[in-house]
Order: sequence, then C-alpha cells, then structure tokens
Amino acid sequence: MCFHLFWEQVSTSFFPHVFGRPYIVYGSGFVLLTVWDKMNCKEPKPFSFASASSTFTRSVSNVVVKFTVDGLRRIMDYKHNIRNMSVIAHVDHGKSTLTDSLVAAAGIIAQEVAGDVRMTDTRADEAERGITIKSTGISLYYEMSDESLKSYKGERQGNEYLINLIDSPGHVDFSSEVTAALRITDGALVVVDCVEGVCVQTETVLRQALGERIRPVLTVNKMDRCFLELQVDGEEAYQTFQRVIENANVIMATYEDPLLGDVQVYPEKGTVAFSAGLHGWAFTLTNFAKMYASKFGVDESKMMERLWGENFFDPATKKWTTKSTGSATCKRGFVQFCYEPIKQIINTCMNDQKDKLWPMLQKLGVTMKAEEKDLMGKALMKRVMQTWLPASSALLEMMIFHLPSPATAQKYRVENLYEGPLDDQYANAIRNCDPEGPLMLYVSKMIPASDKGRFFAFGRVFAGKVQTGLKVRIMGPNYVPGEKKDLYVKSVQRTVIWMGKKQETVEDVPCGNTVAMVGLDQFITKNATLTNEKETDAHPIRAMKFSVSPVVRVAVQCKVASDLPKLVEGLKRLAKSDPMVVCTIEESGEHIIAGAGELHLEICLKDLVDDFMGGAEIIKSDPVVSFRETVLEKSCRIVMSKSPNKHNRLYMEARPMEEGLAEAIDDGRIGPRDDPKVRAKILSEEFGWDKDLAKKIWCFGPETTGPNMVVDMCKGVQYLNEIKDSVVAGFQWASKEGALAEENMRGICFEVCDVVLHADAIHRGGGQVIPTARRVIYASQLTAKPRLLEPVYLVEIQAPEQALGGIYSVLNQKRGHVFEEMQRPGTPLYNIKAYLPVIESFGFSGTLRAATSGQAFPQCVFDHWDMMSSDPLESGSQAANLVTEIRKRKGLKEQMTPLSEFEDKL
Amino acid sequence: MLYIIGLGLGDEKDITLRGLEAVKRCNKVYLEAYTSLLSFGLSSDGLSTLETLFGKVITIADRETVEERADEILSEARVSDVAFLVVGDPFGATTHTDLVVRAKKLGVFVKVVHNASVMTAVGVCGLQLYRYGETVSIPFFTETWKPDSFYEKIQRNCMLGLHTLCLLDIRVKEPSLESLSRGRKQYEPPRYMTIKTAIEQLLEVKQNHTQPAYNEDTICVGFARLGSEDQMVVAGSMKQLLTVDFGAPLHCLVIVGETHPVEEEMLGFYTLGGN
Repeated sequence: MCFHLFWEQVSTSFFPHVFGRPYIVYGSGFVLLTVWDKMNCKEPKPFSFASASSTFTRSVSNVVVKFTVDGLRRIMDYKHNIRNMSVIAHVDHGKSTLTDSLVAAAGIIAQEVAGDVRMTDTRADEAERGITIKSTGISLYYEMSDESLKSYKGERQGNEYLINLIDSPGHVDFSSEVTAALRITDGALVVVDCVEGVCVQTETVLRQALGERIRPVLTVNKMDRCFLELQVDGEEAYQTFQRVIENANVIMATYEDPLLGDVQVYPEKGTVAFSAGLHGWAFTLTNFAKMYASKFGVDESKMMERLWGENFFDPATKKWTTKSTGSATCKRGFVQFCYEPIKQIINTCMNDQKDKLWPMLQKLGVTMKAEEKDLMGKALMKRVMQTWLPASSALLEMMIFHLPSPATAQKYRVENLYEGPLDDQYANAIRNCDPEGPLMLYVSKMIPASDKGRFFAFGRVFAGKVQTGLKVRIMGPNYVPGEKKDLYVKSVQRTVIWMGKKQETVEDVPCGNTVAMVGLDQFITKNATLTNEKETDAHPIRAMKFSVSPVVRVAVQCKVASDLPKLVEGLKRLAKSDPMVVCTIEESGEHIIAGAGELHLEICLKDLVDDFMGGAEIIKSDPVVSFRETVLEKSCRIVMSKSPNKHNRLYMEARPMEEGLAEAIDDGRIGPRDDPKVRAKILSEEFGWDKDLAKKIWCFGPETTGPNMVVDMCKGVQYLNEIKDSVVAGFQWASKEGALAEENMRGICFEVCDVVLHADAIHRGGGQVIPTARRVIYASQLTAKPRLLEPVYLVEIQAPEQALGGIYSVLNQKRGHVFEEMQRPGTPLYNIKAYLPVIESFGFSGTLRAATSGQAFPQCVFDHWDMMSSDPLESGSQAANLVTEIRKRKGLKEQMTPLSEFEDKL
Repeated sequence: MLYIIGLGLGDEKDITLRGLEAVKRCNKVYLEAYTSLLSFGLSSDGLSTLETLFGKVITIADRETVEERADEILSEARVSDVAFLVVGDPFGATTHTDLVVRAKKLGVFVKVVHNASVMTAVGVCGLQLYRYGETVSIPFFTETWKPDSFYEKIQRNCMLGLHTLCLLDIRVKEPSLESLSRGRKQYEPPRYMTIKTAIEQLLEVKQNHTQPAYNEDTICVGFARLGSEDQMVVAGSMKQLLTVDFGAPLHCLVIVGETHPVEEEMLGFYTLGGN
C-alpha cells in the first residue's frame, strides 16, 4: 500500500506544536517530509509520479517523501478518482483524533502518538481548549490495490485516489464553518461516539449535510471505550451500536431524495465503520467478510449480511439461524466473528499473554516487527490493533467505495447549487463536471494569509478551470443577473494549493477540486460565485444557509482612541474571515460584533485583537441579545398615512404570519427568488393562503429575504406599480428597524388595503411615498398588538444522575425548562434537553459547572424565537422595560414614538 | 389672513399691483421655493432684490416647511397677515391646494392673488390654449424608478389631436432615496431637467410600446425661461430639439397635436431653420 499525503492548511496559523520532529521545506517545487518513525517503515518501495521529476525513496530508518506539485496536479484531472469530504460530528466525539489516525498512516505523525496530537487543530487556542475552531483541510493520496478494487462498480481512472478531507468544528457556535465546508464537499464521514450516540450537533449538521445533498457514511467511534472502560459483553455492545446507527438512520430517513437515493447507512453494506480513533484502528464488515468468506464458502456480500442483524451461528452445530437457539454457544454473527476476536486480542495484549498472542496473530496473518514485540500492555495493544485493522485503510476504502466523486455528485447537486435555469450551459457544465465548460467556482470562505491583511479566496471549482491570470466575473451575494450591483471583473493573480504550510502556485485547477486564489480579497466580502469574464448571462451559485444565526452581540471600542482606524480595519477583516460574524455600526457610533454564542464571540474578539489589530487593546461591553418585533393579532383597524404633500394616502393592515411561515422563509423554502407558481402552491397547500393572493406578494424584508412581507390587497388602483418600489424601500427600512425598539421585525404580513395617489407622477415619487410607507407600516404594527420575540437556545446537557438536581435548579433560576430527560441506555449518563432564553445563557456553563461540581457540560444551539407575553405598550411591563433598555442603549429617545405620529386621520 | 400671491414667471417686476399691496400689508412673508423658480434664480441678490422691492424680510419656505410645518405658517396667519409667495400662479403647482384646505379647516381666511403661469404663458408659441389636453410632468428616471404613466396621457391627447404640455422635473432640496431608506436626511444637489433629458426619456419610454404615440420626428416646442427677458422658444422635431442648447433652467416642452393653419403660421416663426 502506498499511502501518502498532500496537505492543505486551511487555517490562519502554522502548527509548530504539532511537529516536534523534523519537517523540512526546500525551495520551490517540492516539499520534503522527514519523519523519524521507524515503526512506520515498510520495505523500501519506489514511489513515483509519472511526470514527477524526481523519484521517491524510503530508507529503513526514516521516510523521505518528495512530492512535486506536478504529481498532485495530475491526479486533480481524474474527476472520478477524487473524493471531497468533510468530517462532521458532535463536539468531543473524536473527529480530529480520528483524522489524525488517517494522517498517521501516511507517516507524518508517529503511530504511537497518533490520537494525542490533533494534527488538524492548528491554532494554539484549539489545542488549549481541546476543540476545533476553524475547519482544516488535508489532501490524502491513496493507492488502491487491484484486488481491493475488484468489486468497485463505479467509473475510475487507475488506482490512484485523491481524498480532500475537511475537519470542521463540532461545537455548535462554529457551525458556520461546517456549512462552508459542506458546500465544497460531496460526502461526509459522520463520527458518532458509540456510547453517547447521536447528539444535538450531529443531528444539526447531518440535516444540513443532507439538505446540501451530501452523502453520508458513518463511523461508530471510540470503540476502545467498550473494551477497556465499560467492558461490555458482545450482545450488549451490539445492541448499543445498533441503536446508534438506528438513531442516525432515523434522521437520514426523513430525507427522501430520488436523485440521491437511500442515504441511510448499513453495516452490512459497508457504509458503517467501527473505529477507535484514539488507538488508530477501525474496521468495516468488509474486512471481516473477506477473512471469513472463503472459510464458509460464500461470497463476500453474503458474508457481510451474516455479520450483522439477526444472524446467529452455533459453532457446535456449525449452523446459521435467524434466531438464537438458546444454546450457550449460539451467538450473533457480529459478536461471534467480529466483536469477540477483537476483545480477545485486546485482552491478551493488555494481560501481556504474549505466548498466546503470537500464534493468534499468525492465524490472522498479522506480522509484527521484532522491536514491536517488546512492547507491553496498552502500547502493545495499540500497535497490534493498528497493524491488524489499520484505521486508514478501513475508512479510506469506505470513502472511496461509498462516497461519490465530484463527477457523480455534481449530477444531482446542480439543483441545489445553481440559481439559474437548470438547462443552460452553466448548469450543464456543473452537472457534467466539465473541465472544458465555462468556469463555475464558489468561494465559500476567506482565509487570512500570512502577509498582514490579505486573504485567500478559498472555494471549489464546479465547472471549467481556474488559472493564474484569468479574468473572472465576481458575482457577490447581492448580485442580480442583468444588473451591475455587487459585480466585479478582476484577474486572479495566482491559483494556489497547499502543500504543508507552503502554498504552491499551480498553473490551473480543474473542476472537482478545491482551490485558493490570491488577488480577489478586495472584491469578495464573505463568499461569491466566479465565472469567466465573458459569461454575462451566468447566474450565481446559491448562497449558503447557516443553521445558526448571530443572536449575541457585544459592543467594542478601543482603549486608546488613536487605535480607532485599527479597530475599523480589524472589524472589516474579522467580518471577512468568519462566514457568520456580523460587524455593524450603530446609530450611536458603537461598533457591534454579532456572533452565534458566547464562545464564538470570545474567539472572534481574540482574533480581532491578536490577528487583525496587531494586539491593540479593546474594551468590550457585556454581551447583549438581539430581539425581534412581531404582532399578535390583525390590526384593530385599517390605518392610513398621508404623504408629506398630503396628496397620496396609503391604507394598510398588519397581521401575524401563519405558524411556520417565518421559519419556511428562514429556511429558504419560500423566498423572493422562487417561481411564483411554486410559491403559490406551497402557500396555499401548507399555509392556507388563497392562490391568487399568494401571487401578490410584493417583497420580503428586511434585506429583501427576511421573514416579513408586503402583500397587495388593492383592487383596481391605477399607477400602483409606480409606487411599488417606494413602498418596498420604505418596508425594507421599517422591517429592519421596528417601531418598538428598532429591532428587526419577524413574522409580520403587511397588507396594502388601498392607495390614493396624486394624478401626476412627480407628486408621488420616492420622496413622497417612501417615508409614508414607513409610517403606515409602523402604524399598522402598533395597532396589531405588537410583541417582542426573544431568542431561545436548545440546551443539551449530559450528566450523571447525581448532577441532575443541580442542573434543574440552575435551569429554573435561568428561566429554562426541560422538555426531555432520557437515560442513555447502557450508561449511567442522563441526556437532558431544555429551552433556555439566550439572554440567560451568559455565564450559564460556569454556573452549571459550579452547581454540578463540573459534571455537566451544556451545548447550546439557537432553536427558535419565543414570544414574550407581556405588552410592550403597557408601561412597567417586562417587555416595556426591555424596550426602554434597548432604546437607551441604541441612543434613541426612551419613549416610543406614539401611534399618532404615524397614523393620519381623515 | 393668509395671502397666497402669485409672483408671475419673470423677475420681481412681474408681481401684480394687487399682489404688491398685499405683501406690503403683511407682517411675515414666505417664499415657496421648491415647485418652481423665478428666472433670476434663488441667488442671494435675487432674494434681496425682492426684499428691497417689498421692503420686507422674506423667509424661504422649502418643501419641508410647507409640507411638514405648514401649521406654523397657518397659526401665524390666524393672528396676523401672512403672505405666501408662489412663483407663477398659486394653483399652478397642485400642492398648495392642501394649504388652502387646512387653512379653511382652521378658520383662517385666505385670499388669492393670481398671476401668469406657465400653463397660460405657453400660448406664446401660437398653439391655442383651447387645444391642449391633460398636462403631464416628466420625473427624473432613476435606475429602478421609471414611472411612465405620462405616456398613456400623451397617447390619449394625441388620439384626440390635442397638444400636450410637459412640465419637467425640478429637484430642489430633495432627500436622496438612499438616505430616505436609511432614515437620515441628506439632500441631493438641486437638479433641473433639461429639454434634452426630457426628450431622451420620452423616447426611452416609447420603446416599450408597439404603436408609439410619437417618435423622433414628432414636432415639439421647447421653452426656456418663459416670461423672462431672454426667454427662448424653439419648434422642431424631437430629433432636432435634442441638439439645441436651451441654456439655464427652467425648461418645458409642448408636444404638438393637430394644428390649425393659423397655429402653423405662428409656429413657423420659431421653427428651426424655419421659413
């Protein structure tokens, strides 16, 4: 097996702490990796890239790898042999550790320390906290043997494979990183802790992945816990694994997608692996089926079926049954042939029964090096298991067999990706992953470069090729085909791929691959679609939808006033580097940073100060929460406002949207760019709208996509079209800053009931109608029982039973309420799900830890907006106090503007 | 008492005798300065010429004063005599009817002193005032806002063989659309539409219709600074007028309908390269 590694550093900083060992980078052209791991050395075997100028050599005591950029570039043309995949999981389920063991096999980290190094956590703060913050990419080169590819049915070009693997954070606050990773990959390795099972983040990300049509495979991780920590017997372990897989399948089964096919995972089909990332071993049933198939004289696929589910074997009678016969020797296939042999080997190693061990290994065809035979206990066990069931080959083979290549995936992903008509040349080029087609490239992330202030635009080429010097059309998120807004034509200065910490310039990058580009950072804020200069009729690739929203905000100012320019510039860069963070300036001149949660903000502030402001000190306010304004009922009367010249009158009513409609708009199921017919269908079937009415939606807002809308209910008004734009402009403004506290509106439907206009166009222009539209919108909001919405987190807490009391009391004190409490089968752990107002979440983890002596760990993810029942118009109520507080903070008049200022009477 | 006094079209001397007497009687004098423009402009000495003539201090009333703070003017008018000066005729620009309505509701007496208006002064070109159809305004187009309802009106006039008087947009102290949507007031620099822009917009709108009511060869009459010493009147096809420099504002345009022989004779005097 030749197994090597190219790698791609998708993060800010280098990783000095990773390498305590020599890592030598020579001048341009190639990277030389020297690794001192004698364990890892196989017999010398030449390794070559056909076009590589130098050959690859290995010696006995170290590994010398010479990669040329040409070699890497060559595989990039084999679109059937590329796998772009992300690793996703709940925080602390062992993603990064598992990734390490894949890398370890390539000879970069010694196998004994694999599991402790966390190769992909490249930032000092990541290592410190033991969590991943930014997603990191690694490209792996893997050569399959003809033997193992025998049963591979798909298209392929030779035996060489390029696997681009992106490890993304598991903590919910950083889900936006995951979103960006999912966009550029086609498959996902879902890592689930075999004991803890599917958790809130696994579920969130899995749903997101399936929504993007990413095909998943599963690995049940931390198997070592079963053998060492919990010491469960085979049948019990099987039940646990079965449950974990079932839980994941329950989520996957809800995504019925004829193009993607069945996305559920089955151990007997090889789409589930069992792994121990910490010890660097893993297997799929394929591994075992290969071992046993000949013994039982059946083919591999038949054998795999027997190794899972209700298949029992009794060695006494040598018979397979579908039920346990009750005899003591009759055991489930999985237990009999997979679990117990592993358990036996592990126990033998742990007890140092070497006399027993060697014959067993010999039977399995595992040969150990002489010096390895001296190892003892855990180290011996680790080494033996790694040699017998190397994690890298099990997992990588599973990916190659069961995850789609770009060529396959883009066939069905094109519908999710492309905004324009699905039969134009761009859609076809994406569908066919056509390197000769027009360029279609999505920039999903901006990565800070080592030279101060510059960014690489990182993304995936979906069609065509991008090359150094190419003039590209940059379509930003606000670009509308046919208009000039948010559109630039610029040259790509360099196209870059990462090899180690070094960026290597390549001539071009063909579709199906990821790429980083230099020279575009001034024209791309966060993401964009790139195409060739001449392709003026191309539509952009759909914008990413984030599963979390920036609901927590802090105000920042600099300690030294003269640092202000640094702060302003730093905020700009911060906004660029993080897909989710939102930096704004308030009316009062305050600089606001909004993020997904406390942790996310903390990291953002750290990046801001250290990386983007050169260490200049800042002062931050206490975190504050964004609210939303909504209405409870239909306006009590039709309200009217007159334009400044009194010749135009707008009549309007506000009403709350139907339940679920605001969420449907959030999810992008209903939006301004829908086909009106499709939209009318959804609205009439799911929300009970009149079909004709559904066609009369003027706009959504704020930001033209928000969860509020204006609907035209007028009958026979002349020249209505001339004022539509002005009403829309007024609505965008008003829905962004509601009448209560200038917070965004949410879930309000404004109905234009009647309009009286001046006979002459000059007297009904924007100057007259925009302010009037705003006033009438406010008037209708205020007459429809306005209410505040507060953001609420879903908190998931895992803790042992004795901590429950503390958890409940902290939740009570923080206005939280528990809606699910479940014991994890087979463990003393409880899983608690609760709703917690975001405003109460500051310092929540700390309080919780204190109350449970550190036994409870909460995970908060934004869940929904909750209506506050008190009336903000009634002075002294909780909502009214909140409104006053927000207004004060924003530097507005403390008193709300009264209705009489907005409504005109006849 | 509120006196709404027309100032006529030319310079300070165009005020009527009755108007001048009324102004002199008033304690407070407002000059409405956004629906039109005296030919000598709003320069500081223009205003002072008026002030010298009237012997009164004049307060400029811009759009916001008239539209949003009219109550102040009216409450002054309840207790004393207030003059509200309007360029042209008080009811040439529609917005002031609202002032009268509000004054009447408040019980303030209103007296109106008429004067010449562009609506009548266009008679100078010889086209009979009886033969004009609905008057239209042509607003400045923006990227997104291109109201073209005036086209239908012109079309109707043409079908009936009537002339159409096109008043051209003026924007004095208008908040920019961008600032309106942000809720802050920032004013655009003043702009006045020229005959050239108006014809360009007319031709642009025409393209959206299959059987246009007019085309490049339709005869029009362009007027600049009507009523002043250097007024300019030129007749010709739209194409021809596009090349004429009409100079300083204000401009207006008449699209000629069916003509009477006498009308044609008069027009002849103004026709470009005419006979």
